[in-house]
Amino acid sequence: MPRIPSSVIEAMVSHAHQDLPNEACGMVHARDGVAFEAIRVKNDAASPFRYEMNPLQMLKLDRRREDEGESLFAIYHSHVASEAYPSPTDVRMAFWPPGEIDNEPMFPETYYVLVSLKYDPPAVRAFHIRMGGVIEEEPIEVVD
Amino acid sequence: MPVKVLVTSVIQKVVDNQRAFTSEGRTIGELISNIDSRYPGFREQLADEQGVLHRFVNIYLNDEDIRYLKGADTELTDGDEVSILPALAGGA
Repeated sequence: MPRIPSSVIEAMVSHAHQDLPNEACGMVHARDGVAFEAIRVKNDAASPFRYEMNPLQMLKLDRRREDEGESLFAIYHSHVASEAYPSPTDVRMAFWPPGEIDNEPMFPETYYVLVSLKYDPPAVRAFHIRMGGVIEEEPIEVVD
Repeated sequence: MPVKVLVTSVIQKVVDNQRAFTSEGRTIGELISNIDSRYPGFREQLADEQGVLHRFVNIYLNDEDIRYLKGADTELTDGDEVSILPALAGGA
């Protein structure tokens, strides 16, 4: 069960609101397995229907994780009008090359967090995307 | 031209689970060929059978996207750092 601090949930929701009408995206870093920070990444697609994380920011965050001993706890993005549930595109893009769902997913240990602005308050849910394109919800435990 | 190569996520699997290693090449294309000789299957992670790079693979030379340089013909010099990242993307 993913334990996520309320401050991290609030940061993701706030980011989702601020990036309207487009989807927002980012990463949650953990230290010793404990999630502690939601980091905004630019959505290069700048679209209400798609996100594509800015690769240079991804690269810098990869270096930060290596240098600081942090790990990639979650990848988050918003759905501005649809459910907080991985879309077929989200599932396809969780594999490399894209759509090769019989490969191991790109980030087997990392949660995919969806923030839906369809609801007020917004819905925030976490998932693992498994080999074969199987979606498993992992109920979030919000911690202080 | 020895260069440092950094790879992320699943691409690390085809290079013995390394995040960073040293390889060489005069250009990005040659570098990919050299890495593929050492780690068979590397090239197909990045390009189709005609050698065209996948739309969703990002290659950076010292923090510059090679799409804005000369693509696979981008020249390398000693000590360069080449980073290879699959895109993180999705949609509603």
